[in-house]
This record gives sequence, structure tokens and C-alpha cells, in this order.
Amino acid sequence: MSAVQAKIPMKDAYSEFKGEALYEKFKTAAEALSAEVHRAANLEEARQLVAKLIGELKIEKAVYASSPLVDEVDIKAIGSKLGIVMTDENLRQNAADAGLGISQLDYAIAEIGTLVGNATSIESRMVSILPPVHMVFVRTKNLLPTLLDAIAVYNKNLGELPKYLTFVSGPSRTADIERVLTIGVHGPGRLIIVFID
Amino acid sequence: MATAKLKQEINAALQKDNLKGALGRFGEAYPAAREKAYEGKDFEAIREKIRIAKSYAAENMEKLADQFAANAEKNGAIVFRAKTAQEAKEYILKVARENNVNHIIKSKSMASEEIHLNKFLNENGIQDVAESDLGEWIIQLCGQRPSHMVMPAIHMTRGEVAEVFSKEVNENLEPDIPKLVKVARENLRNKFLRAEMGISGANIAVAETGTIVMCTNEGNGRLTTTVPPIHVVLVGIEKLVAKFEDVGPILEALPRSATGQKLTSYVTMMTGPTAAIDMDGNIIEQKQMHIVLMDNGRTEMRNDPIFKQALQCIRCASCLNVCPVFQQVGGHVYGDVYTGGIGTILTAFLNSFEKAGELQNLCLRCERCKTFCPGKVDIPSLIVELRRRTVKKDGLPMGQKLILEKVLTNRKLFHSLIRTASLAQKPFVKGNMIRHLPLFFSGLTEGRSLPAVASTPLRDRVGHSVPRGKVKARVAYYAGCLGDFVYPEQGEAAYKVLNKMGMEIVFPLEQTCCGIPASQMGAPEVAVKLAKQNIEAFEKENVDYIVSLCPTCVEVLKHHYLDHFKDDPAWRARAEKIAAKVIDFASFVAKHGKDLKFKGLGINATYHDSCHMKRALGVWQEPRELLSKAGVNITEMKGCDECCGFGGSYSIKMPEISLAILDKKLANAEATGAGVLALDCPGCKMQISGGLDAKGKNMAVKHTAELLAEALKE
Repeated sequence: MSAVQAKIPMKDAYSEFKGEALYEKFKTAAEALSAEVHRAANLEEARQLVAKLIGELKIEKAVYASSPLVDEVDIKAIGSKLGIVMTDENLRQNAADAGLGISQLDYAIAEIGTLVGNATSIESRMVSILPPVHMVFVRTKNLLPTLLDAIAVYNKNLGELPKYLTFVSGPSRTADIERVLTIGVHGPGRLIIVFID
Repeated sequence: MATAKLKQEINAALQKDNLKGALGRFGEAYPAAREKAYEGKDFEAIREKIRIAKSYAAENMEKLADQFAANAEKNGAIVFRAKTAQEAKEYILKVARENNVNHIIKSKSMASEEIHLNKFLNENGIQDVAESDLGEWIIQLCGQRPSHMVMPAIHMTRGEVAEVFSKEVNENLEPDIPKLVKVARENLRNKFLRAEMGISGANIAVAETGTIVMCTNEGNGRLTTTVPPIHVVLVGIEKLVAKFEDVGPILEALPRSATGQKLTSYVTMMTGPTAAIDMDGNIIEQKQMHIVLMDNGRTEMRNDPIFKQALQCIRCASCLNVCPVFQQVGGHVYGDVYTGGIGTILTAFLNSFEKAGELQNLCLRCERCKTFCPGKVDIPSLIVELRRRTVKKDGLPMGQKLILEKVLTNRKLFHSLIRTASLAQKPFVKGNMIRHLPLFFSGLTEGRSLPAVASTPLRDRVGHSVPRGKVKARVAYYAGCLGDFVYPEQGEAAYKVLNKMGMEIVFPLEQTCCGIPASQMGAPEVAVKLAKQNIEAFEKENVDYIVSLCPTCVEVLKHHYLDHFKDDPAWRARAEKIAAKVIDFASFVAKHGKDLKFKGLGINATYHDSCHMKRALGVWQEPRELLSKAGVNITEMKGCDECCGFGGSYSIKMPEISLAILDKKLANAEATGAGVLALDCPGCKMQISGGLDAKGKNMAVKHTAELLAEALKE
């Protein structure tokens, strides 16, 4: 978890009152961007869900960037249960030929289906950008209504602005040839988002 | 004037069906996509915030650059201040040499295009400088310039791209877009992994935190800033903003206006260098991050009291996307890196004033871009200013000088010459049209017939007219040149409607040209003389309103005259009094003609919104409501508010582009199946009816005033 995130007062983020609506809004917006959105009520449910999703990908190797949520889900155990390589080492090589990269992001913006987070660690960037599929874990309580809310969150602690702050909206895309939309260019072609309550 | 070379390039571009197809399709799809992206957003409020943030940044450029540099260095980056393109290029080369860099990967940077960085690096021994943005890579492989700031290869078809890629990878590739994208991914992936240096641009630079903000879609920006152990950011100082929170409104507008996205797939905010992995897989805790803050003409722009406004541009290119000229000729005609309307202005300061002086001729002044600009840059006015300065420097061509200075300012001479023309044209007039002219005039009638000058102008047909019954108000009629000498029947119709509304009408005979041709041709002093003549003419009549059928004349009398006299308080006060009375016909009837009784005309029409009616005056509902009250059933055409290509003298100066735009308008109008095209502008009528006549179509073109007069109950 980033230093910035830890300092966010609860009222800026999720509240029971509007949480459900925010999630639904996020899901609609993110799916319109061709992202896949899932939700697990607790860690145990998350483990089962993630194992199922990874199993469906039929891959031999996945890479991950360690973070509180990724560790809590215990992604390494899921990897060995599925019998695939699951590593966070030598990412220049491993991320380049892995079929999946797994990382955590800090916030989700409901209005536009965007994920936001501190990507200062080189691992979190390598696993999110090189493999063809990117799986993101995010805490459901960290849903924010709008982009401006997200900017305001970071604006409150400018002294601790992450060195590399990233906003991700759907998989990578281009329309550079004849304005025809093509999903999956240099970045991932699939973005799988798992909300964990 | 446009040189022969520019004309040649225009003609070549107009011949390219691929280009027109690609640009036309995008031009049609763009406004809807943008609209959808802005759903639930207050565009006016967002762009006002951007204007405030960016104009503040422009005013305080030097201070913010210092602040940015200090903060970025505190964060661990190395900042280099480059005054010129040369300094920026040499610094980047020095960094590359000092680090034994042989392979460079780049993500999209218009600043690097501006200074022709790749060429410089290649010439100095670094052969492998690969663009990684798909569009940039395509044009790099075929040695072209970007034709559009956001979509550099929008001028190319999939077939052409397949050909280029086939050559690069030595394979015979099909023109299948997803497959071509995959080829790019696979080829560039190796380049990313072996690059020792990444070069990127920036969309925003935040002074208070030293943060660089980048928007990308393909993921190449994140790769460029993540994989190589050295990262060079090339950023123009116009990208600075003071506060981190200023990023908000820019991010809300930039992707929506650029590509109709609510946000680009990736937004990356870098506040200092991060870790990297070297070629052997070892983690480098802090990579080298060099930020080149480049001026290259931007301070000069800021120091210009008029052009500093252009620094509010956030480079979304929406002004290109909605430009009727750009849609016809594409970006390469502009001959430089920055294209379209804003490109013309940027070219003047960042590249060459001479070149921009020629390019300003391409602008039709339809003002469409102005309503779309998220930075609130008044691009059309800046282009007129560019024209004025070009004329001041180079002078007007002899013929234009003579007409503007000697004829236009002498009303009696001007009007008697028009009357003479009405006699001289006789051999060529058939019906009310001139279809062919001999010798060098022939270009004027190519693809478009010209209306004949009326044998009796409006001023000889109407005069002081008193309504039956009680007089509600006293109105002065302002005819405008076309309304007076070419389409007097429109004025007569207006008189009929105004009388029926209970208006007493006077026609001040000393009224003359509003002056727009002079302003447009870059001779504001002539426009000021004409303004004074008209103000004097109207002051003599004690009227409540001044009504005109021409939206451009209304715009000039109501708004431009105030600008003309901004430094002359006495005349400014007189202009204000007149301006307050000026109103376009449709608005006037909508407001004061509520009691008018119409018999239903029962005709089907389509309505063309004139640029200056819709965008300068903001009037478009009124004529539709009036026409529907008169029993005109309106079927809207596609692009009803897109320019017809007239643009005053533009149709003479740039006839090829004017006709290409007209063709599109005619096709859209015809597709409605309506028998009548209604409009509120004599200039548009001249253009559209001339085009219909040349094509032998029998769609009638009528001013709202004519249709209302026809529908009046006696």
C-alpha cells in the first residue's frame, strides 16, 4: 500500500451508502472500455475467483508484483496449485514472455472506469505493461466517484506524491490506422479487474 | 498570396480519394464521439478553468519554468533549459554519447517532431531511433511528416500501411488492421527491450511538484518510461501549469476533445526518476531522468500581446477535426509539423513566420474550431491577425490594394462600378446566372455559376416605407453588398414582412459595405473607414433597430465595430450606440413578429446554418421555428451547420477547396430529398445556388425572409 493511500480519510473514499452504486457505475464504464470486471466478497472468495480466472487463461507462466493485496490473496500458492510458473523475479526476461501479469492498484474511479495507483516499483510496471493480460486487484472500499476526486486525493499530500503515478483505463488500444479501434498494442490486450471487498 | 507550390499541393491533396475518404469519415464521426464523451460534463466550465490555468501559466512562464526545474531537480531529475531547437538537440545527443547509447526508443512527442530530433540523431551517428507510437512509426518508416498532431498517420489507408510494413519486415502482409497492429507490437517489442534510452514528450508539466504528465493509449509511453535505464523528456515550456490541481480540467478535456475518450488508456504522472532494470536484468535503483525544458519561440509568442493566447492550446487537435478545409486537404498541405488552424499559428512562432503567412490563406473563417477549442483560443481571429501582419509586411497585391483602398472606401465609385458591371455582364447572363466567363475570369465559374448583378439594386427599389395601421417601431434596413446589388428580391421580401409587423422602414442611402472583405484581406484601416461611413449613415436616421438579412454584416456591425474602435473612445461610444440596435432578421421577427399570420406553405425544405449565423450570432432555432410556423416542413441534412465553402473572398482565393467543401454540402442537402434549401445568408445563397445551377439541379435556395413573405396572409 502506498504511503499516500494510508493517509486518505475514509470520507474521501468508499462509504456503505454509495458504495454499491459506485461499483455498478465503475463496472459499466470499465466494460465499455473492454475491461473485465469481477468482485469478491472476501479473500477466500477472491482466491477461488482468481484461480478460476487464471485457469481459464491456459498459460504457462505468470508474473506478479508483490503488494499487500497480492500477498494476501497468496498468488504464489494459486500458481503452484494450477501448476504454472508464478514469479516476481528477473522481470526483464520473465515479464516479456509471461502470459499474465498481476498487480495491485490503489483506487478505482467510478465515473470513467479508471484504476489509479502508485506504480513507483519497477516490478508493478513491468508486470502490468509487458504481458498480454494484466490482472489488477483493488479494494472495493477505494472506489472514488470522479477523476477530480482522485486528483484531489493526491493533491492533499503533494509532498508524498508517488514518483510514478499511473491511471489505467481499459486495455491498451490504438486507432492510428484508419481510425479503426484495435485493442492490444504495446500494452496488454486484456485487463481483468478484481475488486476485493 | 498563396504561392503556386501551395496551390499545387492543394490540388494534389484534393485528388487523393483515400485521403478525403479517411478524413471525411473521421470528420463525420468525431463530433458525435466527442459529444458522447462530454456527456454530463459542463464543457464551458471546464474550458474556462483551462483558460485561467493556462493563461496564468503563460503570463508566468519564466517563473514557473524556474519553479519546475527546482522541484524536478529536488526529485532527482536533471533539468536542461534549452532556448533553441539546436540546444535541445545537442543536449540530447550529448547525453546519448556520454552513456554509449546506440538504440533509442521514442514515444510520441510533437516537440521532437518540431525540432526534427530523429534526423539530427541519425546524422550524428545514432542510427537506431525508433518511434513506438503506431502512427509515428508508420510515418517514420515511410519518411513522412505527421499530418495531424494526435493521429499522425490519419492520411494513410490500411493498404498503404500494409505496404510499408511489408517492406520493413520482409513479408507480404495483408491489409488487415489487427494483424498490422500485431506486427508493430512484435517488431517494436524487441526495440523496447534493447533500447538504452527512452525519449518521450509530455502533455503537462506541473511547476509546484516538478511532475511530468503523459497521456497515451498504446502502452508505448509506459514502456518508454519504464524499460530503458535512461529517460529523456522533451517538453515545451507552454506545457507548464502552476498547480497540481490544474491537471484536473486538462485531463477532463484533452482526451475527450482529442479522440472522444473520457481518459486515455494510460495517464502517467512522473515526479522524479524511478528504478529501472539494466540490460543484464539488474535493478538500478534510480535511473537517469533528463528533462529538457524547451523554449524555441514560445517566449516570443508569450511576449506578443495578441498571440500569447495561443499558449492556452492543450494540443488536442479538435480544431483540425472540425475544420472543413482540413477535412478536404489533410495536414501535409500545411507543409510543417503543426497542421490545421492552430498549426498555422504555431508554425509562425516555432518554425517560420513566412510559411505561416502563406498558410493563413487556407482558413475559411467559418469559426467552427473556436466553439470546440478546450483552451478557448480564438483561432480564427489569430489567423486574421496573422493575415494583417503578413499584409503589413509584404503589402497587398496591386489589384487588391486598388480595390480596397481606392474603390471600397469611395461608396459612390464602388456602387457605380457595380452598376456598370451589371451592364457589362449582360452577354453572359442566362436566367439570373452567369455560367461561363471568358479568359482569366473563367476560374470563377468553374463548378459554380455566379449570380448576375441585379439590373436594379435594392436601394432603387425600396426606400421609406410606412406600414398600414399603427407604427410599432422605426427600423433602418441594412442591405449589405449582396443584398443590395445581387439579391434585391430578398430585401423586398424582408420589407414586406417587416411592414406586416407594423414596422416603419428607412433605407439610409449612404450605407456601404460593412468592411468584412477588407478585414479578411488584412487591411483593417480600410475596414475602419467603412465602419465610420456606416455609423454616420445610421446616426442620421433616428431609428429603434437596424435589421439585416446578412449574418456576417450583423456580426461586423454589432461586434467588429466595437473592436475597431477599442482605442478610440469617441468612435467607440458611437459604435456602441449603433451596435445595440443591430439585429438579424430572423431574431427580429421571432421577437417582434409574434402576431404574424401565415398560410401554410406546405413545402419540404432543409435548412443550412450559416457559419456566422450559428456560431457568431448564436442564432439557429429562430429561423427553424419561424419556417415551421409558415408551414415549411424541415428535414435536417447531415452536417447542417458545416460551412458551404463560401467564406467571402475565400471562394475566389481558394476556389478548389471552396468547391470541394461545397460538393459535400450539396450532397448532404440533396440526400434529404427536399425541394427547397432555406438559409439566412446571401453569401451562402450565392455559393450554394451557384453550385446547384452548375450541376443542373433544380433545388430552390431561399432566404428565410423570402419564404416568410410568401407565406404571409394578405
